[in-house]
Amino acid sequence: MFASVRSTTLLGVVGRAVDVEVHVGIGLPGFTIVGQPDEVCRESRDRVRAAFLSRGFTWPNRRITVNLAPSGERKGGSGLDLAIAVAVLIADEQLAVDVATKYAFVAELGLDGSLRDVVGAAPLVGAIRDHRVVVAGANAAAARAAGAREVLIATDLAHMVACLRGEAQWQTCDDAEPQLPDDKLPDLCDVRGQPVARLALEVAAAGAHHTLLVGPPGAGKSMLARRLPSILPALSDEQVLSCTMVHSAAHVAMHASGRVRHAPFRSPHHSISLVGLIGGGSAAMRPGEISLASEGVLFLDELGEFAPSVLDALRQPLEDGVVHVSRARTTLVFPARFLLIAAANPCPCGAGTPGICVCDDAARSKYLRRFSGPLLDRFDLRVSVGLPKVDDLVDGVNGESSAMVKQRVLAARQMAERRGGCTNAAIAINDLDRFAPLAPAARAMLRRELEVGRLSGRGLHRVRRVARTIADLDGAPDIVGEAHVATALQLRTSLTVLSGGRR
Amino acid sequence: MTNTHEHVVAAAVAALPLVGPQRLRTLVGGLGAVDAWRTIRGELAAHDHIAALLAQHDLRRIWRKAATDDMLTRTEQSLIDNDIAVVLATDPHYPAVLRGDHAAPAVLFVRGDLNVFQRRRVGVIGTRAASAAGRHFARQIARDLARNDVAIVSGLARGIDAAAHHGVLDAHDAHDAASSIATQCAPPIAVVATGLDVVYPREHATLWNAVAECGVIISESPPGCGPDAFRFPLRNRILAAASEVLVVVESRAAGGSMITVEEALQRSITVMAVPGSPHSEVSAGTNHLISQGAATVCDATDVLVALGLDHRHHAASTDTRVPPAPGERVVLDVLAQRPLTFDQLVAQLCLPITEVALRLGRLEAQGWVVANAGWWEALVRR
Repeated sequence: MFASVRSTTLLGVVGRAVDVEVHVGIGLPGFTIVGQPDEVCRESRDRVRAAFLSRGFTWPNRRITVNLAPSGERKGGSGLDLAIAVAVLIADEQLAVDVATKYAFVAELGLDGSLRDVVGAAPLVGAIRDHRVVVAGANAAAARAAGAREVLIATDLAHMVACLRGEAQWQTCDDAEPQLPDDKLPDLCDVRGQPVARLALEVAAAGAHHTLLVGPPGAGKSMLARRLPSILPALSDEQVLSCTMVHSAAHVAMHASGRVRHAPFRSPHHSISLVGLIGGGSAAMRPGEISLASEGVLFLDELGEFAPSVLDALRQPLEDGVVHVSRARTTLVFPARFLLIAAANPCPCGAGTPGICVCDDAARSKYLRRFSGPLLDRFDLRVSVGLPKVDDLVDGVNGESSAMVKQRVLAARQMAERRGGCTNAAIAINDLDRFAPLAPAARAMLRRELEVGRLSGRGLHRVRRVARTIADLDGAPDIVGEAHVATALQLRTSLTVLSGGRR
Repeated sequence: MTNTHEHVVAAAVAALPLVGPQRLRTLVGGLGAVDAWRTIRGELAAHDHIAALLAQHDLRRIWRKAATDDMLTRTEQSLIDNDIAVVLATDPHYPAVLRGDHAAPAVLFVRGDLNVFQRRRVGVIGTRAASAAGRHFARQIARDLARNDVAIVSGLARGIDAAAHHGVLDAHDAHDAASSIATQCAPPIAVVATGLDVVYPREHATLWNAVAECGVIISESPPGCGPDAFRFPLRNRILAAASEVLVVVESRAAGGSMITVEEALQRSITVMAVPGSPHSEVSAGTNHLISQGAATVCDATDVLVALGLDHRHHAASTDTRVPPAPGERVVLDVLAQRPLTFDQLVAQLCLPITEVALRLGRLEAQGWVVANAGWWEALVRR
């Protein structure tokens, strides 16, 4: 007998619908899975058989062939277990032929027949939204977040079979979104003093400008960066969905609602490998940190300690907003629309202050060589963050709260959206004159910077975009003034004496 | 200036392995370049002391193997390619000041115009890891001296050397711009350790070419020689010998600058030093020199007096900067006390960030402040 049941498998961060076909026929008793299953998938033979026996189903002692269609693509993961079990039951005529046509099954089977949750439930279910999806209880929230039409929960194989036969009731999760307490994001009011760094953060959020914070240890670079998500605009439904897909596929813990609620904040350690950052892997392609940070913030602390090859791999995703990961068998596209915040010390000793810094030229130039010019060029904002003043730390009042800053950020973002339909950081070069016209004094200032060779051509465009954002925050939606350009130049300090102070 | 056959042969002898200044002097100085080459090739019988030299360390075999016609052609080609002139100690245009020296290089490689050596010459040297203040001073004194027709000798290294050369070039740019000024402006002299086709440090490529175009670069290393450590102390002796007065701007207690000072003292050349803070490590060497009796340098006048030049006509640089507006004056006054980051400046002034940025930008445009790796420093006196 033959049966076909719908399930899905994971390809990077998207699900792909799979038809599990089972043929039970005459021949020597045996169980074969074809259609390019991976190691985990192949092992499902033993799990399914054990689950059958422990729940009192008869295992057909005949020749069983499982085909995972389309058979040209590699399948991975344990999410096909349940579908294989159902298909075997139908093919062995223990279930009626047409019971499973409207259903799709995504769950792993335990040896005792219980249903277990799987990694990547959201993208898996996302590929079979129009079916009634049967999942384990732990995956219900993710399945709902992925937009499945109907999510059904079964506790074990026997319960599920009973439900399919109409002898028992499915467990369902109620449609109303449960009112769960919000995560508490760190708030900007904790930052005392640091007016320039606060402004830089506000500009970064308002214009989506990549930012490099340079300062001695203890200046509060990480503290500032961690407060960026609290002033970013809320995610749209579309963004929530794509973030949820990536987080689910990478098995990263999420809010109890099964969704990503805020702009993600990822802060990988500097020992991260290239594959860890960009995505990939040999067995199953996994999204990297840049994809997890998509629509949110990627924070690279101690930028100088990252392997140079890892940092240089960021350059293309920074431009394109997606990353194409190609391997011998597959090419996958991962999202990578992140806001990059990096922190670095000004020199190896960390002090940076003239007269206090003990680094000699050689040590300094060796340190600076770790940062490739093209990468540094991609930071719109390069801000030096000084040590906070003792007065601020001990007696100072709390800074402005995130809620107030966020209002200004939102207003500036709307202004930019109305003007060009994009964030200011994304204004095309040939649109700059139209969207960011310069006042004569501002033009003269930029011309002088170019003439003394401190500003490169690419730097010029970046400074103009940043000046546009500063003007927007300042409530000047039309002409960009001299003060805005001067501030943008101040927020793009050079990291080095050796480079001749080029911006 | 084209190189004759003799000059090319002399360059080839200099480029042989294991040939240092002393052996070169014995070979080229004693025999003449062509005869030295033929002796090495075994075509001429060696004199007694040449034979003694050849007997050392298997030199006869090593040199005969290296001294091929092919090497001669290659040497000639690289001299032509890089526009390098060869000057022998016997040539009439060999700098007179070096000819009298006891350790004069027998063969000099030259890019630029050797006539610069007929001017008054002052060496300006110092550490490579200089402070911003030191670099600023070196640049300023070099500019002022060049304006008074004193040629600046330096080594094209990082730090003080580069600042000194930049100062001379500044004076030239200003001179070219205002060609009506009757005063002379002396070109720069650079004494380098590497071959003249090997720019070291590499980031000085532009400066290197500007110096060659405007003044002269000399080296005793044949083309192709890299920055080997032993070449720098040797170079320092030429630098010392080429100076009439040696000014040390900043130096640690030991280092290349102190070697140059030693060489200068051996030649009875006046050594002057720029005083610095006792707390500053880069002034430890100069302060020590002063305690040992070196004259202090606080501006170009001190050097002009030491040279016996009339300093009353000293063309002091006049401050052409636009005086800062009252608002900008406030910012300048704060910076004049100590260097600050933009962040600290904003915190100290209690003004809106955009306002501070604007004032700072204007001050910088007029040359009242400079940025140094994120730190802002005031230039109140010029």
